[in-house]
Amino acid sequence: MQKITRRGLMKLGIASGAILTTGGMFKTNALAGSIKLEAGGKDFSPATGTERKMIPSACWNCVTRDAMIGFVEDGRLVKLEGQPNSIRGLGKICAKGAAGINQLYDPDRVLYPMKRAGKRGEGKWKRISWDEALTELGGRLKKLRDEGHPEKFMFHYGRMKGSSSKIVGIFLDAYGTGTKGNHTSICEGGKWTAQELTWGKHYDNWDFDNTKYILNFGSNVLSAHTNHIPTSQRLVSAMVERGVKMVTFDVRLSNTAARSTEWVPVKPGQDGAVVLAMCREIMNAGLYDKDFFKFIKATENPDATTDEKVAAIKAHLAQYTPEWAEKISGVPAAKIKSIALEFAKAKPAVVISYRGAVAHYNGNDTERAVQMLAAITGNIDNPGGRVRPAGNKWKSPKGPENKPKSKKLNLADGFKGQAAYPTHHINHQILKVIKDGKAGRPDIYMWYCYTPVYANGECQENIDILKDENLMPYNVCINAYYDESAALADLILPNPSYLEWWDWEDHVSPKQIPEYYIRQPFVKPLGESRDFKDVVCDLAERMGFPLGFKTAEEFVKVSCDTTPGIKEAGGFEYMKANGVWHDPKAKPKYFGYKKEVKADALKEEGVILDEATGVYWNWKKSTAKSEAEAKEMGYTKTKNALKGYVGQKIGDMVYEGFKPDGVNKSGYFELFSELLKIKNFPALPTYVPIPEHEKMGPKDLVLTTYKVSVQIHSRSTNCKWLTEMYHDNPAKINPISANPLGIKTGDAIKVKSQIGEIKTTAEVTEEVIPGIVAISHHLGHWEYGRYASGNKAPMAGDDDPDLKHKWWDSYGVHPNWIIPNSPDPINGQQRWMDTVVQVTKA
Amino acid sequence: MSTSTMEKNDTATMARQRSDIYGFLAMVYRQEVTSDFLEQIKDPRFLGVLSDLEIQFDDDFLLKPEKELLEDLAVEYARLFLGPGRHISPHESIHHEKDNSKWGQLWGDSTVEVKKFIEATGLEYQPDYKGLPDHISVELEFMQQLTLREEQAWDDADTEGADSCRNIEKKFIEEHLIPWVSAFCEKIMQEAELPFYRDLAALTRKFIEFEQDEINR
Repeated sequence: MQKITRRGLMKLGIASGAILTTGGMFKTNALAGSIKLEAGGKDFSPATGTERKMIPSACWNCVTRDAMIGFVEDGRLVKLEGQPNSIRGLGKICAKGAAGINQLYDPDRVLYPMKRAGKRGEGKWKRISWDEALTELGGRLKKLRDEGHPEKFMFHYGRMKGSSSKIVGIFLDAYGTGTKGNHTSICEGGKWTAQELTWGKHYDNWDFDNTKYILNFGSNVLSAHTNHIPTSQRLVSAMVERGVKMVTFDVRLSNTAARSTEWVPVKPGQDGAVVLAMCREIMNAGLYDKDFFKFIKATENPDATTDEKVAAIKAHLAQYTPEWAEKISGVPAAKIKSIALEFAKAKPAVVISYRGAVAHYNGNDTERAVQMLAAITGNIDNPGGRVRPAGNKWKSPKGPENKPKSKKLNLADGFKGQAAYPTHHINHQILKVIKDGKAGRPDIYMWYCYTPVYANGECQENIDILKDENLMPYNVCINAYYDESAALADLILPNPSYLEWWDWEDHVSPKQIPEYYIRQPFVKPLGESRDFKDVVCDLAERMGFPLGFKTAEEFVKVSCDTTPGIKEAGGFEYMKANGVWHDPKAKPKYFGYKKEVKADALKEEGVILDEATGVYWNWKKSTAKSEAEAKEMGYTKTKNALKGYVGQKIGDMVYEGFKPDGVNKSGYFELFSELLKIKNFPALPTYVPIPEHEKMGPKDLVLTTYKVSVQIHSRSTNCKWLTEMYHDNPAKINPISANPLGIKTGDAIKVKSQIGEIKTTAEVTEEVIPGIVAISHHLGHWEYGRYASGNKAPMAGDDDPDLKHKWWDSYGVHPNWIIPNSPDPINGQQRWMDTVVQVTKA
Repeated sequence: MSTSTMEKNDTATMARQRSDIYGFLAMVYRQEVTSDFLEQIKDPRFLGVLSDLEIQFDDDFLLKPEKELLEDLAVEYARLFLGPGRHISPHESIHHEKDNSKWGQLWGDSTVEVKKFIEATGLEYQPDYKGLPDHISVELEFMQQLTLREEQAWDDADTEGADSCRNIEKKFIEEHLIPWVSAFCEKIMQEAELPFYRDLAALTRKFIEFEQDEINR
C-alpha cells in the first residue's frame, strides 16, 4: 500500500465523514463530555496529563504578600506564580515567592506539638497531643486571667497582617492583655515615625508609573522592599520603557545602585547632609513649589504666609552648603548641586529612601529631610511623586461585645526616655527591659512568626535571657520551623506554612487603587500543624470567652460576604475562585489633602478650633474630661487628640490636610514639628552627627548590613532553592581599607565590635566604599533545619529526596552577634548601620 | 460533505478530514462489523476511495451474502482481538515497550497514562463503556474528538485554541500512537486471514505515519 498523500487523505476523509454522518454509528462511543482548552490550568494539565488544580492565594514569604496562583497536582503543590489579575503584582512574583513551596515541604518542619523534655535549650523534646498542649497552655492563661493579671501574658509577633492581625488582636483584647510586641523597630519603624511627624499616616508609595525622575537614598528596591514586586517592576518599566533617570546614593553598589543611571557613593549615615544641602540649593535657586507651601508648616505660626515660610526654610538651610555636605558625606559639592537642580526641574519626580538612610542615629531627621525635599518641590501626593497610599476597607467580625479593659506591662517602648516618639515601638529592647525587671516580667512569653534570638542585635544576650527560667518562666513558640528561638521554648505549637491557611489581605497598591485579596490553603495543613488563628478561637472557647467565629476560614468568609464591593461581586465564593478584587470604577487617589472639610463637620458637638495649630478637633474623642480642659491643654498636648482630628484651617478654608496618625501633629505637612520641639529636638529637619562615628580611630570601620534578592531577612534559608543560590556571605571590604590591614579576598578575618566578635572570610571589592565592612543578613543560622544550618530539627522527617542532592556545607555568618541593640533617640529604630568595628586577619 | 465545509479554510477542513478518518478507524476496531457499517463500507464511492489507496477487498467481501460475510468477519475479529487462545490484544499496554515500566500486560502503566491523558482534557469514559481505557478504538476516538475540537477552534478563529489542540494531538500521537500502533498493525497484517482486517490494518498504519508527518509540519 502506498503512502497516504494529502490528496489521498482528503478523499478518505470525505468518504469516512460520509460513513460517520449516516447515523446510528455512535451508539458505541467510549468517551463522553467535551474537550476543554481553557488556559490557566483550570482543571487539568494537558502538558503533563496530570490532574491539576489552580488555586488563587497570596504570598507571605515577605511582607509584600503578592497575590499569586498555585498549581496543585495529585494533592501536592507544584508551582507558584504571580496572579495575572492583580493590579499590584501584574502577574509576577519574585524568586523568594516562587520558592515558598520549600516552606511547605521543608523536611525539617515541626508537625506536632512539642514539649520540652530536658533542660531549656538542651534539644530534648517529646511529642504531645494538641489537647494536652492546649490544656496546659489554656490552664496557665486562664489562671493569669482569673487572678486579674492578664497582662502577664505577653504576645510578641514578627509578621502578622490582614485578618491574622484582626483575629489574634480580637483574641488578645478579649483575653485582656495589652502586653504585645512587634518587630517594626528592626525593620523601618523609624521611617514611619518620621512620616507620622510630617504627613501623618505612615507609608510612602513611590509612583514610578508616572514619574520622570527618581532620587534614591539607601533603598535596594530591586532586591528587597516592603512592596517589592509591585514596586520594583514599575521602576524597571519606568527606566526601560520611558528612559526615566534614577540616581542612587548608597554605601554599596547594590543591585539597585548597579541598575541606576548613576550610583553616587555616600558615607554611612551622611545621606541627611546631602539631602539638606540639596534642599538648600533648590530653595536658593527658586525652584520650590510655591503652591504646595500653602500646606507646609515651616514655622511655629500656623498662619504664616508662604513668603514667611520660604524665608524660614531658607534661613534654616543656609548652614547646609554643598561644600559642607561634601566634607562629611564624601559626595562632591558640584554633584549635589547638579542633581538637586535636575530633581527640582524634572517634575514630577520622586525621592525614595530606606534603611540605608534611616537605620542610623540620625535616621529620623534624614527621613524628615527626604520628606522636605519632596515637599518643597511639590512632589507629595501627586501623580509621579511620593504618595500617601490608598488604603482598603475590609469589613470583618469584631469579636465579643464585652471585652475587659486591657492591662499591659510597658515592655515594648524601651527604657524610660530612650526614644521620644517610639510610635512603632522599640522591640529590640524588649528582652533587655524584661531582664531589667522594673517594668515587670511576663509569666508567659509567646512569640509568633518571630525569632527574637536571631532577628535582633546582640544574639548572645537574647539567648541568655530567653534561656533563663528565672527571667522567662514559660516560653511558647508558634512556628512551623525549628529555629534558634524555638530551640529555647518550653512548648512549640506547630503552625502550618502560609500555603495552608486562610487570610484576607490588604497591602498597598502602587496604582493608588486599593486591591482586596485573600490567601487560601493549597493543601490541608501537614501533620498535626494547626493555623494559630484557629487555635486562638479554640483557646478562647476553652477559657469561656468565645470569639464569635470558630475558624479563620469563617472569619474570612464573613469578611468577604460583607465587605462592600466584594459582596456584590459574589463574596467568598468569588474570592475563592478569583483571589483578587478591586473596584473597576475606582480612580487613582491623589491630592487627598486638598479636599475641603464640610461646614457641617465643624459644627458637630465637641468640635473646637485649636488656635496654636489651626486644627479643628473633637475634644470628646480624646482623653480630655471637659472642653475647658481640652482648650487649656491644647490639641498638641492632649492625649489621643488626634482621634478627634477634623481638619486644618489654612487661611479662610478648612482642609482635610495631612491627617495625623500616631502623634498629635497638625493637618499641615509639618516641616516644623512642635512635637519634636517639646521634646527638645530641632523642630526643622536638622543634620546630627552619629556619636560613635565622631570618635572613630583610623583603623575603625563601620559595619553595614544588607539584603540580597533571593533571601528574606531571617526566615528563608530553610528554602532549599534559595539557599542553594545564596549560602555564603563573606565580608565585603574596599581595597583601600583592606590593603593596610594586609587582607586579601579569601582571608579568614575577625570582625570585632564593642560587644563581641565574629569570624568570617574577606571579599576585597570596590562594590563597597572605603571605610566600611558589609555583611548581609539572612545567613549564619545555627538551627532552622538542614538546608539552613546543616542541623536536623528534632522529629524531622527524611522524606525530601533533595536532601541527597544538597551540595553546600557553608552557611555564612550572622552579623547580629556584634551589633548592639540601640535605638534612634527620636523614634526607637534599631541602628543597624552605625556599629563601629575593627577588622583583623584571623 | 456539505458545500459550507468546502468553503472553510484549509486548516479547519484538514482537521475535519483527519477527525473523520480517526472516527472511521475507531469503528473498525471498536467491535465486530455491524450490518449498517458494512453497508456503508460497501458503498461504491467508499470502495473507490480505498481502491485509489490500493486497497481492494476480495470477491468474498463483495459477493458473499451479508449474513455470511458478517459471520466471517465476526469470527475473524474474535480470533484476532478477543481470543480465547492466542490473539492480538488491541491495548496499548500490551504493545508499548517501555523501560523501567510495566508493559506486556493488561492495565499496565500505559493504560493509566492514557486514562489520565484523556481525562486531563476534560473528556470522561462513558459509564457503560466496559472496555479498558487504552483500547485502540478509544485512542482513535480520542483523536477524533481532539481533531474535531481543533476544527471548531479554527472555525471560531481561535488560533490559540487550535494551537493548543495541535499540541495535545502531537503529544498523544508521539507518546501513545506511534510507539505501538504500527507494531500492532504489523501483527494484524501477518495474522489476518481475511483481507478486510489485513488491509484496514495497513491503512491504519499508513494513516498514523501520515499523522506523524502532518503533526510535525
